[in-house]
Formats: sequence, structure tokens, C-alpha cells
Amino acid sequence: MAEDYEPRIVAFLCKWCSSAGSDLAGVSRMEYPPNVVPIQVMCSGSVSPLYIFSAFNKGADGVLVSGCHPGDCHYIKGNYYARRRLNLVKKLLEYIGLEPQRFQMSWISAAEGTKYTQIIKNFVKELKPLGPQTKMRRNP
Amino acid sequence: MANIEDLKEEAKKLLREGKVKYIIGYGAGTNGWPAAPLFIKKHEDVDKLVWNPTCVHNLVRFLVDEKRRKARQKQPDKRPVGIMVKGCDSRAVVVLLQEKFIDRNDVYILGVSCGKTGVVDDAKLSKKMGGKKAKKVEVDAQDRFVVTTEEGTVEAAAEELLAERCLECKANFPVIYDVLSGEKTKRPLDKPFGSLEKIESLSAAERWSFWKEQLDKCIRCYACRSACPMCYCDECVVDSINLAVTADTTADEKAQRIRWVQRSAESSENLIYHLVRAIHLAGRCIDCGECERACPLDIPLRFLNKKLEKEAKELFGYEVGFDSALPALISSFRDEDPQDFIR
Repeated sequence: MAEDYEPRIVAFLCKWCSSAGSDLAGVSRMEYPPNVVPIQVMCSGSVSPLYIFSAFNKGADGVLVSGCHPGDCHYIKGNYYARRRLNLVKKLLEYIGLEPQRFQMSWISAAEGTKYTQIIKNFVKELKPLGPQTKMRRNP
Repeated sequence: MANIEDLKEEAKKLLREGKVKYIIGYGAGTNGWPAAPLFIKKHEDVDKLVWNPTCVHNLVRFLVDEKRRKARQKQPDKRPVGIMVKGCDSRAVVVLLQEKFIDRNDVYILGVSCGKTGVVDDAKLSKKMGGKKAKKVEVDAQDRFVVTTEEGTVEAAAEELLAERCLECKANFPVIYDVLSGEKTKRPLDKPFGSLEKIESLSAAERWSFWKEQLDKCIRCYACRSACPMCYCDECVVDSINLAVTADTTADEKAQRIRWVQRSAESSENLIYHLVRAIHLAGRCIDCGECERACPLDIPLRFLNKKLEKEAKELFGYEVGFDSALPALISSFRDEDPQDFIR
């Protein structure tokens, strides 16, 4: 693997918690790898499995879905739906042979800027040895 | 296999009294084996109904078509449609009821029990016959298959010819019905997901090469989608014709529309299509095996759906198709759902 390989991560962050958490990391000037492309969604429960497949299809090396902690959802139960649905997505991706590290989910609250940087750091560290994701990627 | 004389009597009565619009059942195929779907409108045709191990089709798909047809008619005939269902097909009806796609009054269910056996697998049968053409497949009193050919009969143990899904069937009798023919017998089932073991025991890299090889074959004919009783979305994500093009639609809008999946049969696009289909059928697939049977390239699609059925059972304790009053798998949750994968 080339030394300078930098994985690309697509992160679906919920507007109310995780996105605010990433904002906090930004305004607090915490350092974390620039490999992540954040996409704000209204709720982790609004993340369709298709978004995840499509991100991989269009060249993401890793996909992160992050929402509010259970019980904290702005829409009361969106993250519970997400938890159930994305668990199935994770199992399905592993079943077809995609590396399990490539799809991750986390709970990040608006106050957890540090946790956000930590998760991104770990994610990048785990993706680097895997190399580029080519299995689901559309041929250019 | 149940004797369906009582069911035929009931069907005759229904048609004579005009209680149902028509009856969807199984009739003799034109080519000896297998049976073919049969639509009966007149009571004198009821005797054409057959029930044997070659009744592999899931007729519930026709209920979806019926609903579409009714929606187009100005004054639709509101009478129910009679339909012959096996155990697995009845679970498809339950899911359609659960999703409120059809109403219980729209359908009159003529249930038939598979008894201790089930339906035959086309591939297994032709392998067993070694090129000889089967004319008739029946089950004898000892639950053994009797295959009649031009040159005589061949007997085989049920396990030898049964479709894979029948070997893993949780209930070989209809769970919902208006009339039932045959008995509610349950076969002991020690490994409900046994067929998955082979793939699950492979390493990730081997699983990937298995699925890549399989899904690369896909020619995107969408036969799996057409045969599936659960694939009833009016707009499918893989069709790029969804965009409503009117006189006002600008070229820009047409160019900018989202293409989640390309239509070309490339391996990456095939993969996305089949993953989307698998996820859409999570907690809905009742394992009738129609997708796999319809597939002209013999892609083992059942293994994708079965895997999610297994996960739904193991992770969330959800069993599909037994109770139409329960909320669907992914439109419900429990506080104690596993979340060990979440950081």
C-alpha cells in the first residue's frame, strides 16, 4: 500500500447532536484528520441504507453514521429506528464480504467534540491498512 | 399433500354464488411438469385446479397486480379475489395485510397444506431424472415423491427432491385462510437456517469472491423484482424513468436527477441493486423462493434474503409472516435492541 494513501470517509451526521458535536470540535480548534466529508442529515433515522450503499458506490472508503445518544433524539425515536435498520445493513455488508471496519455507527452528542475527533482518528487509523475500497465502487 | 376435493367444492360454491370475482389457483402446465397459475372465472372450470408438488409458484404476486388493475378502473368490482395459497404464500398475504397494502376483505384465502412434504426443486428434479422428462410429480402415502416419465415411474425420498426452502420451512400449512385443505402438520426442524452455513463459514475474502462471481452474472432483467410479491413499490429506485417529465421539465432538471444506481449491468451496480433489494425485503421476505426460481442466471438470491431473515430473528426476535397485527421489523424498535456495534 502506498504510504501516502488517505482514506475518504463520508459521515452522515444528525443535525441536532453529531453535527453540533463536529462543530464543537471545529470551534474548539481540536485537531483531527481531514479525511472526512460531513453530510448533515436531519436525523440518523433518516439515513436510508441506500445512502450508505451509494456512498460506497461513489468511492467512499468508509461510511460513518452518527446520531444522538439513545433517549436524546430530537425526534424522540429516530435513532432507535436507525439502530435497528443500520445493524441489518452492517450485517449485510459483512455478509457479502466487505471489511466490517468500513461501515461504522456512533452516538455523538452536541457536547462531545472530543469523542468526534477520537472516532474520526480511529476510523482513519483502521481504514489505512485496508487500502482503497474497490468492491462497491463504480468504474469511472 | 392434501386432497383438495373439499377446496374445489368450496371454490365452486363461491363462484356459483358470485362471492368472489375470480379464483387464482394452480392448473396443469402445458408441458407435463410443472403446474401453471390458473385463473378461474366460471364454476364449471374449477375441476381444472390441481395440487401437487409442482405447484411452486407464489400466486400472491397476482394480488399486487389485481390491486393495480382495480386502481385504474373507474368502477372496480369490489368483490374479493379467491387465491390458493401454500404455507409460504399465506405468509406473503400476512405481510401484505400487515403493511395494509391489501385489505382482508379483498381476498378470500383457499389454503392448502403441504402436509409433511413441500414443492419440488426444478434443478434437483432434472438432475435426478438425468435428462428424462418428468410428466407428473406426485406424493405417495409414505410422503415419497413419485415421478412419472414416458418410461415409467421413479421414486425418491422427499428430502432428495424438495426445494431448499421447503426443507427450512417453519410451517408447511397456511397461517391465514378462509378454508383449509389438509392438516396442520409441522415437520421437525433442527436447522432453520442450515443452508446459510456454507457461505457463513467462508472467510470475508471468499464470501466476496462468491458474491462477486454470482452477482456479476446478473443481466438486470429484474425478473426477481417482477416475481416477488413484496416488490410492489410504484417507483423502484433502480429505474431511471422515475422522473416525471412534463412540458415544463428543463433539460437541466432531467440531467440533474438522482441516479442512485446505473442501469448498466456492471458488477458494482448489480451489487447495489441486489443489496437494496435485500434490505428492502428485510423482515418482509417470506422465503417463497420466487426470485431465485425466476432468475434466468441461477443467482442464489435466496441466500441474501435468508441471511437478513436470520439476523432479524437473532438480533430482534422477529419472525416474518405470522401475525398481521404486529408492526413491521424496521418500523418498530425495542429499547433493548443490540447496539454493541455502535461506538
